[in-house]
Amino acid sequence: MSWETIIVNPFTNVLLLIYHLIGGNFGVAIILFTILIRLITHPLMASQIKSSAKMTAFQSSKEWQDIQKKFKDDKEKLAQEQMKLYKDLGINPFASCLPTIIQIPIIFGLYQSIMRAMAASPGQLLILSRVVSPLLSTVFHINSAILVPLNSKFLWMNLGQPERLYLFGIGIPVLAIIVALTTYVQSKVTLPPSTGSNDQMGMTNNMMVITMPLMLGYFALTFASGLSVYFIAGNLVGIAQYALLGKVNWKALLPGAKPAPQKQAIARKSK
Amino acid sequence: MKIKFVVLIAAFLAISLLLAGCASGLTASSWASVVADTQTAYLAGGSYVYAVNLANGTQVWRYPAKASANPFYAPPALTPDGQVIVGGFDHNLYSLNQQTGAQNWVFSLAHDRWYGGALVSGETIYAPNADYNLYALDLHGNLKWSFQADQSLWAAPVSDGQRIYFGTLGRKVYAVDASTGKQVWVQTVDGAVLGSPTLQSGGTLFVGTYAGSVVALDASTGRVRWSHPSSSSAWIWAGPALTDTALLAGDSTGLLYDLDPGTGTMRWHQTLNGAVIASPVSDGKSIVVGTEGGNLYYYDMTGSLVHTVSVSGNVYTTPVITGNIILVAPTGAPNVLVAYDQNGTQKWALPPAK
Repeated sequence: MSWETIIVNPFTNVLLLIYHLIGGNFGVAIILFTILIRLITHPLMASQIKSSAKMTAFQSSKEWQDIQKKFKDDKEKLAQEQMKLYKDLGINPFASCLPTIIQIPIIFGLYQSIMRAMAASPGQLLILSRVVSPLLSTVFHINSAILVPLNSKFLWMNLGQPERLYLFGIGIPVLAIIVALTTYVQSKVTLPPSTGSNDQMGMTNNMMVITMPLMLGYFALTFASGLSVYFIAGNLVGIAQYALLGKVNWKALLPGAKPAPQKQAIARKSK
Repeated sequence: MKIKFVVLIAAFLAISLLLAGCASGLTASSWASVVADTQTAYLAGGSYVYAVNLANGTQVWRYPAKASANPFYAPPALTPDGQVIVGGFDHNLYSLNQQTGAQNWVFSLAHDRWYGGALVSGETIYAPNADYNLYALDLHGNLKWSFQADQSLWAAPVSDGQRIYFGTLGRKVYAVDASTGKQVWVQTVDGAVLGSPTLQSGGTLFVGTYAGSVVALDASTGRVRWSHPSSSSAWIWAGPALTDTALLAGDSTGLLYDLDPGTGTMRWHQTLNGAVIASPVSDGKSIVVGTEGGNLYYYDMTGSLVHTVSVSGNVYTTPVITGNIILVAPTGAPNVLVAYDQNGTQKWALPPAK
């Protein structure tokens, strides 16, 4: 069983099914597919958000800061005390990473399936022709010969190519700008900012708020615009997911906004 | 802080490489295509365009001097005044000197890749691009007109001198006026048209479709004269090939068949060892067809197998018959161009440039 068989090919066929069901709009199909995948992985994300919040509360707790001061010259003892405190408070330090790690292959699979379904070149179409599941015709009565190749035109874009909107002969990378903007907004309203000079997690988050939009903006500028549509949809759905869980800090968007006070106090695990 | 910054940069580079890897893994490697005159073969394959001496298979010239990051794909076309016209993945259409390989001019107004070869008719180059446009250029590379179709164009058009005929991925076949680029007619067929149409002197246009049909259209009106459906799971990639008596088509199930050009009735068929992606070719005495399975089949005009040759690679582009030589540009093979004689004996082979 290869990566292709388990992830990419099933994803591709689901994407083709959505494309067919909505009448042949690949841009909308990417958006709906992103929402679907985000809904399926929502429990993982919710668990990650919960663990991150716990960790943030831990980082800013007086108990941890006292320990840091006490053992500032003994790294080994500090690590031991940290692990002990994690145990006492019922915090799993990997609980916030694990859902992310599980989501990474899904995100890459999603990207690969979008690229595969777009089949923007003869070679890609040849590959796609071989991975279209017979289930599409037997179960859903879809004629893949009519379905494929997909119409890659969405609004002013060819989803198989990097996007530029030409105004007066100048190519403006509108999607890359929107990707960078939505990534910034998502990072800003969902990542807890630094609460002090000793808050390492907060400092990392502050760095992420700057680097992530630049990074994804660069990807959007360079790769097929279908990926940019996915990024934008993913960012907006991500904000909505955080909002549903009450973890969005809209005030963080205001200039000069102070870090929101930690709402969640850390509680020691009952023995 | 510095360590975290380095980690972030490393993560950025890793994700860039992964995404690029994902993309390139799905991107087709360039399918080499060949054309020939009586003395020289011109091959667009991988990172180079080659001119090859037909007598012994030696390289006459190669373009560009350094390997191109954007491999050429489109089949080359030759003009009467000694140019080789070839489009690339970099969205540029190049004119090269047929004798020396020196670059004459570059047309760079297209917005997408060139997958289909150009058609040279009279003093005009008709070049199809994946940006949905058919571009008409003069022999100096100046744009005469462009025609925007409904979808990408992946194959060379054909012409009767008055009109240009071509198919699109959007299941449409178009006829446009050769001198003005104005649409004469458009016809919808049952699947994407990935290959070039074939024009019969009697005024019938034949196309193969991704839905597996061979469709005959009235070239003057676009009206469908007949349609020959293949099996439900088959698709036809290349355009059908026409001889004096036969209309030959191959499909993804490995079926090669001859249809009556007048009625679409199947006269004979053969099952080959792999999908037929490239058009069959015929010199009027024999039929040669290559398969994805790596065989080159020689048939007589009645459909009887004469012999089979293994080319150790996939045949994705149409072989060329010139004089007594059959040229094949296999994909995934140790050589980019191989010449066989009519008996299937290899005469020479050209390895890829290092």
